[in-house]
Amino acid sequence: MTRLVAASGALAFALSLAPSAAADQAPVDLQRLIDEAEPGEVITLDADTYEGGVVIDKVLTLRGEGWPVVDGRGNGHVIEITAPDVTVEGLVIRGSGDALDKEHAGVSGDAARIRVIGNRFEDVLFGIFLRRGDGSEIKDNVIGSKDLFIARRGDGIRLWESHSSTIENNVVDSGRDSVFWFCDDLIVRNNRVSNGRYGLHFMYTDGSLIEGNVTDGNSVGTFLMYSKGLTVTNNVFSENRGPSGYGLGLKDVDGAEATGNRFLGNRVGVFFDNSPSERDVVQHFESNVFAFNDIGALFQPSVEGNLFSENAFIDNGEQVATDGRGDLEGNEWSVDGRGNYWSDFAGYDADGNGLGDIPYEIEDVFSDLTDSYPDLMFFQGTPAARAVDMAGRAFPDLKPEPKLSDDAPLVEMPGFPAAPTAEAAASNWPVAVVSLALLGFAGGFIWLAGRRPGSGTDSKVLPA
Amino acid sequence: MTAATAPAGIDSSAVSERVEPRLVGVIALKVLREAVRDRWFWLYCAGFALLAAGITTLALPDTEVVGTGGFGRTAASLVALVQLVVTLMALTLGARSLAGERESGTLRFLLSHPVSRTEVLLGTYLGLGGALLAAVAAGFGVAGLVSSFRSAVVDVGILLKIAGASWLMALVMLGIGMLVSVVVRRTGAAMGAALLIWLGLVFLGDLGIMGTVAATNLPAETLFAVAVANPIEAFRLTAIVSLEGSLDALGPAGTYAVDSFGNSIGWLTLGVLFAWAVAPMVLAWLLFRRKKDL
Repeated sequence: MTRLVAASGALAFALSLAPSAAADQAPVDLQRLIDEAEPGEVITLDADTYEGGVVIDKVLTLRGEGWPVVDGRGNGHVIEITAPDVTVEGLVIRGSGDALDKEHAGVSGDAARIRVIGNRFEDVLFGIFLRRGDGSEIKDNVIGSKDLFIARRGDGIRLWESHSSTIENNVVDSGRDSVFWFCDDLIVRNNRVSNGRYGLHFMYTDGSLIEGNVTDGNSVGTFLMYSKGLTVTNNVFSENRGPSGYGLGLKDVDGAEATGNRFLGNRVGVFFDNSPSERDVVQHFESNVFAFNDIGALFQPSVEGNLFSENAFIDNGEQVATDGRGDLEGNEWSVDGRGNYWSDFAGYDADGNGLGDIPYEIEDVFSDLTDSYPDLMFFQGTPAARAVDMAGRAFPDLKPEPKLSDDAPLVEMPGFPAAPTAEAAASNWPVAVVSLALLGFAGGFIWLAGRRPGSGTDSKVLPA
Repeated sequence: MTAATAPAGIDSSAVSERVEPRLVGVIALKVLREAVRDRWFWLYCAGFALLAAGITTLALPDTEVVGTGGFGRTAASLVALVQLVVTLMALTLGARSLAGERESGTLRFLLSHPVSRTEVLLGTYLGLGGALLAAVAAGFGVAGLVSSFRSAVVDVGILLKIAGASWLMALVMLGIGMLVSVVVRRTGAAMGAALLIWLGLVFLGDLGIMGTVAATNLPAETLFAVAVANPIEAFRLTAIVSLEGSLDALGPAGTYAVDSFGNSIGWLTLGVLFAWAVAPMVLAWLLFRRKKDL
């Protein structure tokens, strides 16, 4: 440890030689502050720039006031925590190293009950990386990334063997993934993860709660793997459109309960791969909105045991599809006599009980063809593909067996609270202005062209 | 005054190569004026704008519940609408142009003036192209306006890009239509030919590839090559690339295209469109220049 102090002392000396504004005041040696603090002490940092690459090896609270900067200058971890019960709060944490194999991070911890609260992370490879951090709290952080090719970036948040931790109100932008693995009973709530590869990635996270998060603009929004008893409520998965492009993916997940989620404009709203994996397990998807996705819900053909009720499927390119040839017989599309709302339901409700009097069935000829010949996906949405479907409706002989049948489709969309992202749509004036300009151009153009020729030279050349 | 700038002779073959921009402009203006007074033009315009408004309204049902999503699907529907309506409008507009003038005798009358055939052809193309520009701008203007009322998040840049690509495709179809108009003598026959071409490009081409894929396991690269040669497909791919940045969503053939052409895929499809915009017009010009009986 003395070696470390000496090293940073030497650096401090070198810095004081530099003709900068900081020269009139010797920079504070953060590592020395830490080393000299008593266990349990609170170190308060004022607004200034501090040398990063520090190690916290005792119970300590490092608290910034007025956004002091801890700068790692591109070397190693900015803050490394080796003792439990450490709190890092209110700092700008900047400039980690960029070696993926060394997992350089803004905050790298290997101890229980670490609290990382209300910090800003800039130009870091990994944002927060905790190992064996049971009972840790990661709250209110804003986490950026390094400007690298996405596979070369690190994860915004990564937790390993950190059971019963809470990850709440963080904003993660442009990281690679945020990964939680071998962490049971997590609470992941109200985070926003955007523009990454896998927004939130859970592996071996039994009994975790995933609530109120927004994952948007990632390659894949949220992927759940190898976990039991997950609760997924009130999240928004939108515009995740990478090559796989799942809003929510489930692989070998048993007993997920998903309610109140919104799947909007993803390539695939939700993807089921061998979930549930055990025969006697069922999963409920209730009161979710699937809207504007290329495919609302996509199933591996062998998947069964998922129960869908009170969901709204709105204008997805394909509402529900199988990945490959097969049907969805093993999954239920109504529970206790209540099915789902389907925007393309063409039935009626003569007895007025709110349920369609004929079942909703998916039996599109074109999507049946793409199941057999995936190459035909190329033509999805073309007039020709629509013509194939129309031919199927006109000539019942062409119709395939229904892939899905909802015996009690809802004729009215169930009530849902307003989407948390709705307020972002408030200012839309550029579109209005451009549209009006287009209309004005068209109108003016036609008006000018359509005027009776005056006494100009035109009419003399060509008396029309 | 203009007579002074034109050669004295009235023999049209002597001046068939000449292109005087001012005369082209005059003819273009005349054609444009006639086009926008035509009730077919208004019917198409109104149909396109109403359908665009309808699609936008229907595709964005309840933004309170679904938040800011939906533009991608709306744009995809608009693209399909353009594939259907704008192509038909441009093809028939082109097909009726010269055939109609020839049938009514106005073409001979026009060519009895000191204007060259090239100038007439070019002027007609530009005039009708202008009318199509107005129609496309009006349709997308209505769609954009409706979607701004629906408070959906619409990317203005993408909207304009797709509108621009739509106009380029309209020019392609106009060129094909005018080629028909040069070749076929009667307006009715020209219209019939245009309809057949429309059917072929919009439906039969794709359906034929689909059938071939199902019957013979056509490789993805062949599928892509054959499909992209169709200007209507090239337009759709251009629109998808500007909307999505790639063709990943289009299954194996799309993945093949992304792997082979990477970021230049948009330029490839645009190049196909440009080639289609030029080639039929050049052919039409070669034929029209030498045509004996008008």
